[in-house]
Amino acid sequence: MSSAYMQAQQRMRRTPYQTLVALVVTTLAFFVAIVFFLDAAAAHKILRYFETRPQVNAFYQQDVVPKPQEVDLLRTKLEGTGLVESFKYVSKEEALQIYKDLNKSDPLLLEAVTANMLPASVEVSAKDPQDLKGLADILKGETGIEDVRFAEEVVQSLLSWTRSVRTSRVVLAATQMFIAFIIILSVIGSKITSRREEISLLQLIGATEGYISAPFVVEGTLYGALGSLMAWGMSYLVILYSTPFFAGFISEIPGLYPSVVFMLKVLGGSMGLGALVGALGGLLAVRRYLKS
Amino acid sequence: MIASYALSGFANFSSIAIQIGGISGIAPTRRHDLAKLAANKLPHYRRAVGVVFQDFKLLADRNVTENVALPLQVRGASLGDIAKAVKQSLEVVGLTERASLFPAQLSGGELQRVVMARAIVGQPRLILADEPTGNLDPKTARSIVKLLHAIHKELKTTVVMATHNADIVDSLGLRVISLDRGKVVKDSPKGKYE
Repeated sequence: MSSAYMQAQQRMRRTPYQTLVALVVTTLAFFVAIVFFLDAAAAHKILRYFETRPQVNAFYQQDVVPKPQEVDLLRTKLEGTGLVESFKYVSKEEALQIYKDLNKSDPLLLEAVTANMLPASVEVSAKDPQDLKGLADILKGETGIEDVRFAEEVVQSLLSWTRSVRTSRVVLAATQMFIAFIIILSVIGSKITSRREEISLLQLIGATEGYISAPFVVEGTLYGALGSLMAWGMSYLVILYSTPFFAGFISEIPGLYPSVVFMLKVLGGSMGLGALVGALGGLLAVRRYLKS
Repeated sequence: MIASYALSGFANFSSIAIQIGGISGIAPTRRHDLAKLAANKLPHYRRAVGVVFQDFKLLADRNVTENVALPLQVRGASLGDIAKAVKQSLEVVGLTERASLFPAQLSGGELQRVVMARAIVGQPRLILADEPTGNLDPKTARSIVKLLHAIHKELKTTVVMATHNADIVDSLGLRVISLDRGKVVKDSPKGKYE
């Protein structure tokens, strides 16, 4: 393998313009793929954020003030299902405060309302919005709870929308990886064409198919790995430069900007995948030539 | 050493390659029917034969040393063994001083010597020379044939040279095999070009 690596390196060094063109083209292909992937990761974070926003509101009867033990019991029961993201008890006083905050611009609405007039409630959000209906059903069966509300239709629309966004991002990233594969296939194909005489000579002096193929596979691997490395660098620069621009309107979503650890994982993954795509492209191109 | 020539326009070198298994004293290992040889066995068979091509078939992007090293590289020889064998081969053909030059920097005679060094570096049991003097001037052609003769004597390797050059065939006084339409029509121990 070291002999194949040395040969591949030598070929790349001795045809610098061809190598440069191959690297630029594969870098651009991987750059778009990484951008799609990072976009998909960001979209996932945004979608997760919005998916956990919908919640079930269960209102106690107006004359019921649940004891802390009863609230804890309900919390334990709901959390025991493993479906709950967050559980919050809103007392009558807290409900009044919320009411006041919402209507502070209209003093007339505040005058007549007291804490006793408002029901205590619990707010429950689910890890997966699809489970909201099940949680709502549990809450409906609880004693003292009069009304359970959640925006079922809105949740269904949101789920359908997020599903299609996720699918489209995955399809775009996969398509771009396929395009990178085709590019490497054609780059190695053109390199093979320019080395027809060499391949023919190697066959005449007793080289096996494996010996002839190995440097092309290594070359494809190097294009894949180096192209994805440069693409990763470019995409990181784009992220760093675009952060202030996006910070203005999506700052409330936690963990949206990729951490260094996440980006290092992306680097490892993209170089591994790039090397694999490059190796497969090189192998397929040279096998196709040798079989023909 | 054997000189061979074809009576008709049938490709001389191909005829020799086809007849290798059938001509006494030429088969490099044992008799092979090349048409029936499994594809994965062919490379190993080819390694037993060193070939001197009329059109050189040297790689333009590799220097003399790298071109000569090729047959050993495809066999997976160690770097040390390759360096030693290449050095010896270049000494045999007298190109030690030109080892780092590229084919474009060499004359026709030097190119043919590089090809001969490449043919002997793997110590084959048989060397096939396909019109090695075809693209050379008479003086250089004679030196190349002399070198082939020396290789045969020093390395004890069977050398089959395909040629249409009557002067060379007549001056050698060696075994001459005549071919007609791919078939051996004459095999003389000390023949002439007829």
